[in-house]
Amino acid sequence: MAKIFMKIKELDISHWYIAFLCLTGIITFIWTNGFSFINYSSEEWVKLYVMLGAALILNSLTFRLPPEGNVISFDSSIYLACMFIYGSQFTLAVLLLCSLSYFVYKRNVPWWKKLTNFSLYSIMITLSFQVFLAFNGTLGPVNGHNLASYILALTSYFGINTIGLFIYYYLLYRTDLANTLKGFVKDTILVYLCMLILSLVLCVLIVNNGTLGLILFLSLGIMLSHAFRLLFSMYHQILNRSNIDQRTALYNHSFFESSLDYHIIEAKVNDRALSLAMIDIDDFKKYNDSFGHLKGDLLISFLGSMLKEETKDTSIVASRYGGEEFTLLMPGYDYEKARHFVDKLRKKLNDTPFDGVEVFPHKCLSFSAGIAQYSIDLYDKSQLVDHADKALYYAKKQGKNTVHTYGCDLIMEDELDLSHEVNYIEQQLNLFMYKDIDTFKHSKRVYKYALDMSNILSLDKEEKREFVLGALIHDIGKLEIPWGVLNKEGKLTPEEWETIKQHVTWGKKIALTDPRFRDLIPYIELHHERFDGKGYPHGLKGKEIPKLCRMLTVLDSFDAMTTERPYQKTKTLQEGIIELRACAGTQFDPELVEIFIAYILARSPKNELTLQEETAPYMV
Amino acid sequence: MVYDGIILGLIVGLFRGGLKNGLVQFGQIKLKGGLIFPILLLIQFLIFRFQGDASWLAPASGYFFMSIYVIGMAFLWMNRQNKGFMIILIGVFFNFLVMAVNGGRMPVSLDAAQVLGPYYTELLTSGDAVYKHYMLDASTRLSFLGDIIPLSNPYPRTQVISIGDVVMNLGIFLYIQSIMVPKKDTEDQDLATSLHTSN
Repeated sequence: MAKIFMKIKELDISHWYIAFLCLTGIITFIWTNGFSFINYSSEEWVKLYVMLGAALILNSLTFRLPPEGNVISFDSSIYLACMFIYGSQFTLAVLLLCSLSYFVYKRNVPWWKKLTNFSLYSIMITLSFQVFLAFNGTLGPVNGHNLASYILALTSYFGINTIGLFIYYYLLYRTDLANTLKGFVKDTILVYLCMLILSLVLCVLIVNNGTLGLILFLSLGIMLSHAFRLLFSMYHQILNRSNIDQRTALYNHSFFESSLDYHIIEAKVNDRALSLAMIDIDDFKKYNDSFGHLKGDLLISFLGSMLKEETKDTSIVASRYGGEEFTLLMPGYDYEKARHFVDKLRKKLNDTPFDGVEVFPHKCLSFSAGIAQYSIDLYDKSQLVDHADKALYYAKKQGKNTVHTYGCDLIMEDELDLSHEVNYIEQQLNLFMYKDIDTFKHSKRVYKYALDMSNILSLDKEEKREFVLGALIHDIGKLEIPWGVLNKEGKLTPEEWETIKQHVTWGKKIALTDPRFRDLIPYIELHHERFDGKGYPHGLKGKEIPKLCRMLTVLDSFDAMTTERPYQKTKTLQEGIIELRACAGTQFDPELVEIFIAYILARSPKNELTLQEETAPYMV
Repeated sequence: MVYDGIILGLIVGLFRGGLKNGLVQFGQIKLKGGLIFPILLLIQFLIFRFQGDASWLAPASGYFFMSIYVIGMAFLWMNRQNKGFMIILIGVFFNFLVMAVNGGRMPVSLDAAQVLGPYYTELLTSGDAVYKHYMLDASTRLSFLGDIIPLSNPYPRTQVISIGDVVMNLGIFLYIQSIMVPKKDTEDQDLATSLHTSN
């Protein structure tokens, strides 16, 4: 009982409206009709059957009218004709049998919809018949003098229909009242006029020619419905030409954009899941280069037809995003479900034989896919696309032929991001390759120390990124130091030392040119500051220097001591440690030095440290 | 009346599905208990043939027909996953129902039987020699399910049928269509979903 009460409480006002409508309809039906047709004579039953058959035939021939997509059939004209010839009681009997037939035949339509439809029709028929009588309408043959009553009865018939449906849609969607009603009436008025004329034609035909008249009418109705259907499909062919990608027969980019808009609004309003998958064929360029564009196009249309086939009976909108990229817009799919679907698709593609797959590294067709789920806090649709695109990038980075879901594996994503940036900086550092190979190697070693240290210091994601990248780039200013000074063997003159010192400021200037390096500037500028304030360029002291910059100074100096340099003798790791301790408190932050020494000792066991002395001066 | 739906279905099916495809499909029909139907037909013929000879057969024939109906309906139920079979079943059930409540015979409306000519109406009023049928009167129950629909010009055959016959033939018609007409893509439905962005 409590459960039922809870259910009732959850009901929306539109549900109450439906319930009210059904109740009114059923009461109206019983009051008007009273199941009197049970006692009809055989002849009346035959009439009833004939009308029922006609109504069912017309009802099954639904057609749509462009552009709104209303589903319309001419069955109302049968009801109206019945009403004008035989009265409302008989019409309601036809309606009842027709509804019962549909109840049995169309089991996929929910029962309450059928009941609502039946109720609304009952009310429409009963009330409009009352109007018809009130304006002196007479049953039987069409009478020219009664034209006003026909028109008024019809107006009330469709008036009730429009208002009844309109209230329902209004309660459901709560849109602008006046405008919606205006649109409602505008869309349907022509169809309603058609119905009126058709129903009067039917009256004339039935009264004068009986069943033959009805058959003629039905033929006309069937052909009209068919003609409207053709019209609609033609309209759609034209419409689709602008929405379909010619090569793959999937939707094109512009359609994807507009349906993305639509589905995002839909997901927002109905609080429904929505996922976007972005699919990119792996190594497509390789295939194209090996076999030419014609074959490449074949591959694209092959994947297109597969996507179309696989998404046929789902709500998924598959589009060609461009080139060898495809999108699947998946309304009703959360990322788990979407991932499952796309992964299944990927495996299926892997198992599909295709001409020339031997050029691919996996020796089979494959794609990488990125999935992003819509969430309410997304600012706009481009963000969803961005997320999916990023996820696709991560999928590619993981070695292709994978599906990655955006935000599901943050650590891995961060690492991939970091390695991407490291790559970028390494490209810049490659300039050292020719100018000063030692600085290039030094930067990479310091970078590796920094990576380890950031784990030891348990830095957070952002700090780690800055520290590691800063370590990699810190000597970038050395590019500006003249060749002769940089590679000079023997002692440097004081002027040359000044030039060397300049590299921190030059480095800063270089870094300022690229917004990606902005937050790395402290590491470039301050890695020669000393703990006791005697460093350059600013002479900052102690805690004035950022902690990680102090750390970098330690790493930088230790690596400089323990590796071969043109202007300095190389120390062993042990000598390096002794030197670090000696300078702790003056050049270096003593706490950080100890942390670093502990790390170096832990990394190289005792015997190795001693071994070091005999073999190489440096090891990584 | 049983054959009308089949013939109509075949004609329309040949038009819609093409001769070759239609006939090939027709040859591949598979029904559960497919032998039941010809056997039932044979029994019916035998009863018709010997009804006059054996005196005990005539009063019992009503029950024979009823049991044939029941077996027939069971056969239809077994094959209900075929398109149209449920409709055939409903039609057969209507006929079965009206016969069951009226002593195993089908009531025929005298008015409707006029189309068949005076010979048949006389037979009907005299009440003999029309084994499966009898005249509909005030005592007939569920008379609206009886043979009350007269068919004549422009329909090519003149006869009196019941609503059950109509429903049954509709089912047969739909079934034959579903076999003979090649499956079309659901292109129309695909289009519908794309509508929202059309303007």
